[in-house]
Amino acid sequence: MTTHVPGDALVSLNAVNKHYGQLHVLKDINLQVRKGEVVVVIGPSGSGKSTLCRAINRLETIEDGTISIDGKVLPEEGKALAQLRADVGMVFQSFNLFAHKTILENVTLGPIKVKGVAKAAADKDAMALLERVGVGHQAPKLPAQLSGGQQQRVAIARALAMKPKVMLFDEPTSALDPEMINEVLDVMVQLAKEGMTMIVVTHEMGFARKAADRVVFMADGQIVEDATPEEFFTNPKSDRAKDFLSKLLTH
Amino acid sequence: MDVIIENLPLYWEGFLRTLFLSVVSGVIALVLGTLLAAARVSPVAALRGFSTAYVEILRNTPLTIAFFFAAIVLPRLGVQFAQFEVAAIIALSTYTAAFIAEAVRSGVNSVPVGQAEAARSIGMNFGQVLNLIILPQALRTVIPPLINILIALVKNSSVAGAFFVLELFGYGRQLANANGDQVITVLLGTAFFYLLLTVPLGILASTVERKVAIAR
Repeated sequence: MTTHVPGDALVSLNAVNKHYGQLHVLKDINLQVRKGEVVVVIGPSGSGKSTLCRAINRLETIEDGTISIDGKVLPEEGKALAQLRADVGMVFQSFNLFAHKTILENVTLGPIKVKGVAKAAADKDAMALLERVGVGHQAPKLPAQLSGGQQQRVAIARALAMKPKVMLFDEPTSALDPEMINEVLDVMVQLAKEGMTMIVVTHEMGFARKAADRVVFMADGQIVEDATPEEFFTNPKSDRAKDFLSKLLTH
Repeated sequence: MDVIIENLPLYWEGFLRTLFLSVVSGVIALVLGTLLAAARVSPVAALRGFSTAYVEILRNTPLTIAFFFAAIVLPRLGVQFAQFEVAAIIALSTYTAAFIAEAVRSGVNSVPVGQAEAARSIGMNFGQVLNLIILPQALRTVIPPLINILIALVKNSSVAGAFFVLELFGYGRQLANANGDQVITVLLGTAFFYLLLTVPLGILASTVERKVAIAR
């Protein structure tokens, strides 16, 4: 099951394959994401959705096929790869804020060191971003002093500070206490409304309904369905998707 | 006691020589060891191989062999030293660097892999990831073991005394020979001056350990 979007695919995966030893985690993946599109990737654990997300900025290598961002094929290593990664924002399940840097420094480090932005300008931008995600008053603190939800919002600000073309979210709310999930999702919904191109791996079906343009359902390393949220949640075509959705509703 | 007091200038001279040997070798070893640790975690297989071989060989052979190499083998290969001290510094720093490389490597491994992934995902290159994110965090966990290695270095520098370098132990031996009836006192005096260097280092280690522990 593939979707071919003519022309302006910002993120494009073509016939991507990856194995972990015997395990075939990505099977012939084809996926095109247009500029401004919000694609939510869902599926059972072990279906390869996180691997897919991490492969897009080459935190996971792939064995064959190509991944391109804005027309440029992901380079193997080195300077070109670092440059391309700067255009791809990534938000992790476990936040991964730099533990020895303040909240403000976490956000300014990329612009200053990678893009060569002057410190004063980077600080100003970072404060605006931190205000936007609602943690401006935490700027001088260290990551460990913040709650999980706050840390994840800082992580989103850190990624946005690089002015990325696309944002990847790898289960951004899975490590959070239930009462903190919404504060992070609210920021993400806002971001989607502002037209950011987003690929979101999540278990939050509410977010998928509310903000997604497309839902991609993965199982056993394959893309099984690729549809609008409306279509996917009301009328799933495959048995795998039906089975998955029925399990979600039992509790 | 008189023998110590009478010879205080000599002890002091030896103390300063030992301090000099330790500081110079220590600084070289820290730089070399950190470079070796960086090579050990680099994406380049040849660098990893070199670093591993270096660490395993130097760490698993006696210091005296390093001294024999620096003081006797190197000159035969055409490397001439104006003073034996240079050979001592080469032996001490290359030997100690192997231990420092191991300590820094374990510190690097103690930093969660997500830190490096986050740094790479905002576009940092290998050097930036290492210098800005990994090493600053690794060094905090590594400072106490590093100080232990430096304490060992101070004590190891006494081996130089056996290679014609006059430092604390060398002077101590001269004094012991000259005052055959008071050998124990002379050696206690020598030990005291070593303690003057190593005990503050130990105190520093525990202070730093308390101060720099970072919360996760």
